[in-house]
Amino acid sequence: MDQATKVDSNHPSPKKLQQIDTSTLGITWTDGHESVYAVKMLREHCPCAHCIDEWSGEKKIKPGMIADTIRPKDIKSVGLYAIQFYWNDGHDTGLYPHELLRKLCQCEICKKA
Amino acid sequence: MSDQALQEKIIEALKTVEDPDLHKNIVSLGFVKNMKVENGNVSYDVELTTPACPVKEQLKSECETKTKAIEGVASVSVNMTAVVRASEHSQPVLTGVKNIIAVASGKGGVGKSTVATNLAIALQLSGAKVGLMDADIYGPSIPLMLGIPISPPRVGENNKFFPHEKYGLKVVSAAFLTKQGQPLMLRGPMLGGIIQQFLQNVEWGELDYLIIDLPPGTGDVQLTLTQKAPISGAVVVTTPQEVSMIDADKGVKMFQQVKVPLLGIVENMSYFICDGCDKKHYIFKSGGGKTLAETFKIPFIGEIPIISEVVIGGDSGVPILLSDPQSPASVAYTHLAGQVAAQLSIQQAKEDKAEATFDLAWKE
Repeated sequence: MDQATKVDSNHPSPKKLQQIDTSTLGITWTDGHESVYAVKMLREHCPCAHCIDEWSGEKKIKPGMIADTIRPKDIKSVGLYAIQFYWNDGHDTGLYPHELLRKLCQCEICKKA
Repeated sequence: MSDQALQEKIIEALKTVEDPDLHKNIVSLGFVKNMKVENGNVSYDVELTTPACPVKEQLKSECETKTKAIEGVASVSVNMTAVVRASEHSQPVLTGVKNIIAVASGKGGVGKSTVATNLAIALQLSGAKVGLMDADIYGPSIPLMLGIPISPPRVGENNKFFPHEKYGLKVVSAAFLTKQGQPLMLRGPMLGGIIQQFLQNVEWGELDYLIIDLPPGTGDVQLTLTQKAPISGAVVVTTPQEVSMIDADKGVKMFQQVKVPLLGIVENMSYFICDGCDKKHYIFKSGGGKTLAETFKIPFIGEIPIISEVVIGGDSGVPILLSDPQSPASVAYTHLAGQVAAQLSIQQAKEDKAEATFDLAWKE
């Protein structure tokens, strides 16, 4: 059991999702970390096969392609490992694994690291 | 001593009885219920989290001994009961199902369906309500193993259908969707649709455990299930050889990636017991499953022997647990069921769990 708990702490999961303001998402993690995200940045980092070429790994979203008015309409959990965003530009194929979201964190501590 | 004072003393004594899996005493776990003390005659229930609890007898005798040792106790009657705790989830499917256990392997032919079937029977024999979902769409074998003739499922209201029932198990299989012996020829995306139906449209009723027999590999069915079904935990089946191990390794990694808790590794066809010498012969090496479990730091929860009766049981539709409960394989399956149930209870007792499901509507 101790081992399993350790594994969990290496792979934290979101405990709480909240909208901080019209363009900022907050996630509180099981290890206590509090992440903040600009939603536009999240849209730009969509990991789906339309946005990142499956074979070459080439990013199809270029700077400036995503409008500043981009907002999620709905955010849902997928299984126990990912989060799906339903964007107001109609895009909804991106499943963001918890690990990716953790890497994208824009809080003061993570920005410095 | 008054009965009241005696009751307090008994409670104090029972606080020294620890559940070996949950590492807490049975009083603070809330297991002790309905205590009655009348003129020194004591009776109470101990309500465990699973009827398949592997240490049920041990706990019972410890309770009895510790209660009897108290001065003033004339007689003790400990009644062991169980109410299976539900894994928390808020997904809109399988709402009457308390725990969903996926049985998987990376490789085909390791005896996944045999293990899933016997695991389901063992849990059911312990007194739990159990369902079995045969999610191996291309090669459904559960109906044969349970001796269920192929017939279309009974249809209910709102597109729902009822599982077949045999030996007290509720069973759903893709085999019931076609005529006997007809292959289901489908492309990948259709598989997801069938699995969705199994999740949404089956009238499972109330179940303590739903066992899902997964097809081998890490494909469409596995992904749909991990995305759509609130799986409580996964059991990975392997055989002792290296070639099976490399695939089981992938199965384990898949569940880790999608964050489904791994309840443990089961090694099937572990050893052969010769009827002449009663010696365990490790035909395909030994210790492979254990090594895999150690590598990933997950529990090694069972070794199932190679016994021809297991195969005969599978082919004749009478699982070995029912035809020969004393067989070493039956003993191994009963042990496995206890371990699986115990590991689930441990998962549920974990603090600091993630919120399983959420849906955040964005406000402009």
